[in-house]
Amino acid sequence: MEDRYVVRFSSSERLAHWLQFVAFSALLVTGLFIYMPALQAFTVGRAGEASRVLHRISAVVFMIAPLIYLVGNPSAFFSSLRDAFSWSADDRAWLSKAVAYYTNGEVSDMPPQGKYNGGQKLNAVVQIVAFVLFVVTGLIMWFGKGSVSPGLFAFSVILHDLAVIAAVSLVMLHVYLVTIHPLTRESITAMFEGIVTREYAQEHHAKWLADVEGES
Amino acid sequence: MAVGMLLDLDKCTACRGCQAACKEWNDLPADSTRQTGTYQNPPDLSPTTLTLIEFQEKEVGGRLGWYFFNKRCVHCTQAACVDVCPTAALQHNALGFVSFDRDACNGCGYCAEFCPFQIPRMEMLDGFQGKAKASKCTFCQDRVTNGIVPACAKTCPTGAITFGDRDALVQTGKGRVAALQSRGKTNARLYGETELGGLRQMYVLPETASFYGLPENPQLPATLSLWQGGVRPLGYIAAGLTALGLAFNWLTARKLAVARATEKEE
Repeated sequence: MEDRYVVRFSSSERLAHWLQFVAFSALLVTGLFIYMPALQAFTVGRAGEASRVLHRISAVVFMIAPLIYLVGNPSAFFSSLRDAFSWSADDRAWLSKAVAYYTNGEVSDMPPQGKYNGGQKLNAVVQIVAFVLFVVTGLIMWFGKGSVSPGLFAFSVILHDLAVIAAVSLVMLHVYLVTIHPLTRESITAMFEGIVTREYAQEHHAKWLADVEGES
Repeated sequence: MAVGMLLDLDKCTACRGCQAACKEWNDLPADSTRQTGTYQNPPDLSPTTLTLIEFQEKEVGGRLGWYFFNKRCVHCTQAACVDVCPTAALQHNALGFVSFDRDACNGCGYCAEFCPFQIPRMEMLDGFQGKAKASKCTFCQDRVTNGIVPACAKTCPTGAITFGDRDALVQTGKGRVAALQSRGKTNARLYGETELGGLRQMYVLPETASFYGLPENPQLPATLSLWQGGVRPLGYIAAGLTALGLAFNWLTARKLAVARATEKEE
């Protein structure tokens, strides 16, 4: 059994990720109520009150989740963070071939990847930047209403929305790849049991697999 | 009929009867304030003060004058607050003014932040929960829609506030401006006839707009069109294209699963 599987994510990484997922979903739904005029019915009365409070509770969970990651597994937190911002030629080459790969499945063409491939790194960078924007502009709108200048408030509203657009587009892609796409959907075990098959690691993250096996 | 009000600052004696009548009709409490050396009281509009007489002493042409300004929502035709309100608490009434439904307000604060005149005030009920209510002059919507004159216009003893058919008020206003100019008030103007599509509360200004703290040429804020005309459609386009792209990918990619399965069997 040990040979068939490779450990990918620790329990604190998975807990943080799922908390983030649940909070993000709740934030998105309650946020859409005031983004889309068609959903206006949910902004008034009891529903409006509930969605306003739920948005704030979810925001707190959203902010705490990365801290769980940091405290629960600091070495993975920092190495992943470093990974996300260090791009090799292989990562860039992988990204440029990604569309063809996901459409036609030409595996042999793809440069070997570390623990995170070019696409995952791109997603991580965008999500991290969006996270910072969400927190800063969200806190301004939450606690600065009426006291910050109108220009700053309007700017925060716009930045908050732009962060949503970037984050949601990539989350849609991310969810599609781990639940539906035939080449990658088996990797969702990494977020449930924390493991992927050795075969999967070899095909998708060859450099990472070599690192892991070199250590042991 | 499109209704309007004409605020003739030349006729205003700053008795503040409008302030008191507004509070009385709308059942708003007095604000607790401190003496700061001016008759202007309360110092600013607030969730419980929807109309306010501003006092300023200024020298004009070498003569010290005491100038009064009636500060309140001017009920724009191109109203930023109506555009941004996500709950439709702020709407254009059929009579033309901007109505406000306090029960529908969810306290987001967008109206206060995007108003070119910075009129709406937020009443913070619970900052932690984000519970708040906007507040602004409602044109006495409960009176006007029942055929009664707004409380401020009803009580004004000098005729500085008149209510009626807007077109007729424009004519009255123009006449008043001409009279002021013939008296040497060369800066006098009618404010609100065409500004932002036409304001429902127009001013006869004896001096320039900026003299009274009004924008000379009020515009919808640039951030508003960026947000509603740019960012919001961008969101629909981005989400739509992503969904479409993924759907197309699935059409070809699902064959990969079959191909792989047969590969393995062989």
